[in-house]
Amino acid sequence: MTEVFNPETVEEAVALLAQHGEAMPLSGGATLIAMRNAALVEPSHLISLDRIPDLRGISRDDGGGIRIGAMTRHFETAACVELTGSLQVLRRAAGMIANRVVRNMGTMGGSVANADPAADYLPALSCCDAVLEIAGPDGRRTLSIHDYIEDWYETALEEGEIITAITLPAPVEVSSTYRKIARVSGDYATASCAMALDPDGQGLRVAIGACGPGPLRDRAGEKALRGKLDDPSAVSEFTSRLVALADPVDDVRGSAEYRLRLIPRLVTSVLSELTTQKEMA
Amino acid sequence: MMAKKVLHSLTLNGEEVEVASVAGATLLETLREDLRVLSSKRGCNQGVCGACTVLLDGKPVRACLTLTARCEGHAVQTMEGMNGDHVMATLQRHMVESGGVQCGFCTGGVLISARELLESDPSPSRETVKTALSGNICRCTGYRTIVDAVCGAAEELSQ
Ligand SMILES: Cc1cc2nc3c(=O)[nH]c(=O)nc-3n(C[C@H](O)[C@H](O)[C@H](O)COP(=O)(O)OP(=O)(O)OC[C@H]3O[C@@H](n4cnc5c(N)ncnc54)[C@H](O)[C@@H]3O)c2cc1C
Ligand code: FES
Ligand code: FES
Repeated sequence: MTEVFNPETVEEAVALLAQHGEAMPLSGGATLIAMRNAALVEPSHLISLDRIPDLRGISRDDGGGIRIGAMTRHFETAACVELTGSLQVLRRAAGMIANRVVRNMGTMGGSVANADPAADYLPALSCCDAVLEIAGPDGRRTLSIHDYIEDWYETALEEGEIITAITLPAPVEVSSTYRKIARVSGDYATASCAMALDPDGQGLRVAIGACGPGPLRDRAGEKALRGKLDDPSAVSEFTSRLVALADPVDDVRGSAEYRLRLIPRLVTSVLSELTTQKEMA
Repeated sequence: MMAKKVLHSLTLNGEEVEVASVAGATLLETLREDLRVLSSKRGCNQGVCGACTVLLDGKPVRACLTLTARCEGHAVQTMEGMNGDHVMATLQRHMVESGGVQCGFCTGGVLISARELLESDPSPSRETVKTALSGNICRCTGYRTIVDAVCGAAEELSQ
């Protein structure tokens, strides 16, 4: 038995979470209700975020930056025409999550909060340098996606805090994309790669998913690679660094060794896709 | 201890219903146990098999992962409420003709997912059909006859 609350403001939701020690926020339920059905969690209270208008919708600020409300469902993100150029990667990732029915349910806030290492949004958000908006008992704060994952399934989200939105810098006109290797369509990733070229086409940003506790980004390596995207030995040096930094595990989706072998192939293949696109444009 | 029950009002297949369910019940529990509406099946209770799929405000969702409280004031549609839907009737006929139904446990979920696909993409390729149905597990048919049925229905409907 779980008592369900339907607050209509963020403040109310945060107060309810503080009031009931065993309470958990509920978004799409695609993970949380599955876990409850399997008796892996037994929350006394569920604080549904579904009726809070503030958490809904995708909007643009004056500077062109994009704010995605935490309750935005995967199907909405997958169809969002504002996510172009450098942000196309996020739209692509959304469209590759699970299947159509689960995309009608799951939300970006829920997925980010759940912090599954194989989830599709995390590498895409890392590649976009996203920022999380958070509300909690001590008020509101923002946090870079790069400081968010602390360990396997451990995040910088404090007790009683909820994610209210994800913000992205204004899109720039460059190619970006998301590639996912999975056993079958609709499965979680064995490994994934989110990539965007720099505005001048001379460098890249890349985040690898499912090969460690959080998205793998090597910003120093990216810097060293600037201006050398067409130099195979520089690219190979960069992917070797990524392999060295990765920390994958063996699981049903693939062995750690297999994942390490996927990384260089993924990166080189996605890079050649993006640079070809650029030449054709 | 008696589990605490809560009253919920929602629209089910076009009719306003008021139903008492255990606090925190899923829509699947409410449908099957409290309303005895049985087309939505409990396969995995994990969102994986698709047998429980129903429409919430016109969009397919997993009834096993949706709380009844979430449906308060919203419209739920199950296979029981699809009589008279032309696309659904065509899909059903093709499923029977091509042998896409064996035990029938997955069939309702398959049909609801297929109907959503045809709404957004009236002439999908076989590959698109397979991807769209990847969240519906069938233990009997081997899928080929299901894909045949959806493609056949799409072809008939687009004529
Ligand atoms: C069959 C199936 C296949 C899937 N395949 C994939 C896949 O391929 N790729 C992928 O990335 N994901 C996949 N998922 C997961 C899916 O994307 C989920 O929707 C997502 O992980 C959780 O989002 P939700 O909105 O449903 O969150 P919920 O299930 O409601 O919540 C998840 C957790 O986050 C907490 N929470 C929820 N919202 C917030 C918030 N705003 N602030 C703080 N905490 C919060 C909850 O308390 C809970 O602990 C799959 C799920 C299913 C059922
Ligand atoms: S019972 Fe809901 S998806 Fe299997
Ligand atoms: S017909 Fe038996 S599970 Fe599909």
